[in-house]
Amino acid sequence: MFDILSLLDITFFLLAALGALVGIIFGAIPGMTATMAVAVCLPLTYALGLNHGLALLLGLYVGGISGGMVPAVLLNIPGTPSSITTTFDGYPMAQKGEGERALRVSVVASVVGGLISAAILFLFAPLLAEFSIKFSYVEKFLIILLALTVIASMSRNMLVGIFSGVLGIWLSLIGTYSISDGGNGKTRLMFDFLEPYLFEGFSLLPVLIGIFGIATILLEAEEGVKSGLAGKNITFGKGGGFSFTIFKGRLTNLVRSSFIGTFVGMLPGVGGSAASVLAYTQEKNLSRDSSEMGKGAPQGLMASESANNALTGGALIPLLSLGIPGDSTTAVLIGAFTLQGIQVGPLFIPENADTWYVMMTALVFANIVMFFLMFYAIKHIAKVVLVPKYILYPIIVMMCVVGAYAINYGIMFDVWTLLIFGVLGYLIQKVGLEVAPLIIGFILGGQAEVYFVKSLESAGSYAIFFTKSPIAVVLWLLIAASVAFSVMMGLKSRARRRLETSS
Amino acid sequence: MESGLSSLLSVSIDFETSHLFFPYIVHWLMGGLFALILVLNVVPFLAAVRRGERTLPILGESMDKFRFFGTLVLIVAYFYLMSVVGNLFPYTGYGFLFVSMVFVFLMSLMYMHTRTRRKVITAAINALVAPSLAWFILAKLFQITLP
Repeated sequence: MFDILSLLDITFFLLAALGALVGIIFGAIPGMTATMAVAVCLPLTYALGLNHGLALLLGLYVGGISGGMVPAVLLNIPGTPSSITTTFDGYPMAQKGEGERALRVSVVASVVGGLISAAILFLFAPLLAEFSIKFSYVEKFLIILLALTVIASMSRNMLVGIFSGVLGIWLSLIGTYSISDGGNGKTRLMFDFLEPYLFEGFSLLPVLIGIFGIATILLEAEEGVKSGLAGKNITFGKGGGFSFTIFKGRLTNLVRSSFIGTFVGMLPGVGGSAASVLAYTQEKNLSRDSSEMGKGAPQGLMASESANNALTGGALIPLLSLGIPGDSTTAVLIGAFTLQGIQVGPLFIPENADTWYVMMTALVFANIVMFFLMFYAIKHIAKVVLVPKYILYPIIVMMCVVGAYAINYGIMFDVWTLLIFGVLGYLIQKVGLEVAPLIIGFILGGQAEVYFVKSLESAGSYAIFFTKSPIAVVLWLLIAASVAFSVMMGLKSRARRRLETSS
Repeated sequence: MESGLSSLLSVSIDFETSHLFFPYIVHWLMGGLFALILVLNVVPFLAAVRRGERTLPILGESMDKFRFFGTLVLIVAYFYLMSVVGNLFPYTGYGFLFVSMVFVFLMSLMYMHTRTRRKVITAAINALVAPSLAWFILAKLFQITLP
């Protein structure tokens, strides 16, 4: 336990703090997300060791999620999708001249959410890992199937969600059926002339950076890269007016929202906006004085911000215990682990206890840094919202290139992968397919194949997936439940729409 | 009955072609899902397009053609020239450094809606400083390979 103290040097804390600062800046600029922050800054971790790299990335993650509140409150534009509900009460407060107060309430709520979810992560992930360590290939395959079903059932349209997930799996199968996984080393799903480039399939990180970096730029370019903010003024109000008494009697709200955020974060592929919307509506339903919500009530900010920061800890739970990313940012984190030669999964925590404690330290420290940075320096940080995009976007493309090129020590094809998936990511979002299931499918597809084929090879019957163990049956029940849930929600919303059109 | 079911579910995978087994299933899944989506979503959507209620994605939407295709062309040229110039100065990262400077400047100019002297000068300084900084930190301090 005390060994880890030797791993925590000044550089470690400086990197976590730097990560938090850069993350806040990314989060604060509308259109740029925590995922993008992590993806773009990945090349910096190539040269750092595992612990230092993790400190930086977790700082970016926490900062990126938190930064979204800044434009949400000041400009009524959510900086990240998950701060959508922050605009409901934040912007009215800013208009009343209480911008700084609103931001400070949000910052406190954020740090509470972040720390509560970190605590849940710390307690829960090792348990889940210990439980899942006994899983055979059958259960592992079913877990992946469950993860994909859950993502799909949370999509706007389950059918489209599933299709996106399967498309992701298909993309991951391009290349060889690797001998190291017990395959026969033959290539499939490509033309022979591509073999020199695609023998190992598409590399994960260029794919992710392409979809989250280049595709975003293309989407913005299509819109004409409007600054839209040039004429706007940022008003903070007179400052002051904030005191911690505002949180009196709001503890239930904070804790409830944090738990909601953590739980939603655990569900794979469910975006951050679901967490804050759920927490916000719960507060609205359950609180005694919800009449002011939406007109500038601090309690709305508390629900929204504590839930969206609680995502961080939640999303790391399935990542570290099952190897399944909880959201798109943790999907990029998987890439960072792979880069350092570490396989995340049930064995990660027991075999890398030091790394696990280091991660927890980095996560908690990043939350604290985020709090102090935003609580005291928010006025200065908020100005980055106004940095023009014509300066930012070229730099982002440049950083994407560095990340893709350096990942395999200088392969130009990885840079082209960036473009291929940038364009693909653009098209996918244009025709209405979903990015999150696609990415998770892409990440888990290779493993799904190995687990599936190996299970069948040893058992010789499809029946093994149902009869292997009680856990397998439970997993099937969960899969059925998530499909049923989605179908029910679909029918409900269809009925509501029909009601609206007929009335 | 019992044996019928178990023989229906039994499967044997030939190792020689085992690399095609899972993709085969995935193809069928994709095909099936695609057909379902076609019938349930795409056909009603196209009908709505024909009635003029919805518009086709990409084709039917208004877009900033100059900036969109300009971005694509610039990125392709950037990637291509980077390796060409990089091959002239192998293992130095100069390909990245010099081509990035040009690229960042051109992209900035393209994304600007009104070009004032001050804006152009800011963009030029940015185009010089940002790639140099990235090149220095990554290639020199961290010894990361750059084109």
